[in-house]
Amino acid sequence: MFRFLAVERLAPLFVPRETAMVVVRQFAIEAKQDAAKFIEAEHMLLTLAANEESDACTLLNESGLTYRQIVCALRDERRRSLGFAGVEPLDEKQTEATELERSLTLGTSAKVALKRAMVASRDGRPHRPRIQGTDLLIGILQAELGTVPRTLAIAGVDRAVLIARARKPMRETRC
Amino acid sequence: MSPVDPSPLGGPADSLATSSALRAMADRLEDAGVERAMRDGWSWSQVAEALGVTRQAVHKKHLMRLLAARIDLRRRDV
Repeated sequence: MFRFLAVERLAPLFVPRETAMVVVRQFAIEAKQDAAKFIEAEHMLLTLAANEESDACTLLNESGLTYRQIVCALRDERRRSLGFAGVEPLDEKQTEATELERSLTLGTSAKVALKRAMVASRDGRPHRPRIQGTDLLIGILQAELGTVPRTLAIAGVDRAVLIARARKPMRETRC
Repeated sequence: MSPVDPSPLGGPADSLATSSALRAMADRLEDAGVERAMRDGWSWSQVAEALGVTRQAVHKKHLMRLLAARIDLRRRDV
């Protein structure tokens, strides 16, 4: 599922429809800014945090996670991971290379987050087939290992509390 | 063995995250290094030899990107 799927093809999975395409394109923008080969769960998390009109963004902000703070926490996580091998992060100039203009596809962590988001979107609402921002947030936060949980642990955020808060119905449906 | 509930930080999680971060860094270094070498006029064979892989492997992995970078690839060995 979702294998080799261009990111734009994901838009019909999301609600509201008016903002869905912007959201899925933002996944790719975040991945490109990170010089990543694939869209990963951390790029989806950044997208949710960047969408200030969304409930997911509100939940993240209330937990002390703004877009900027997530960027810093991701940087700290990378520094810690490389530091374990005694390696310093490289200067951007050292890794400057031409990127092919292509539509990015989902990496494994993003696929898993999306599958979990689809399950969350059906939770107690069997007839609601589309993913809201809070469903995607739940899908991302349910990963127990990997970059996102490491980043959140470094930032001192309790994932379980955040998941519980995301499961509560919000005032209105926003992506 | 009973199932474990591993922490995302410390222990094996750090080793595995380090391995993943190093792999991503190595990929970016290779992309940048190959592009710089080809701009400097290296042949495909020289780049392959420096990387310890076959010429065909370098060609397959980097050709499209080097063409997108508008590097003149004519008059080099294949």
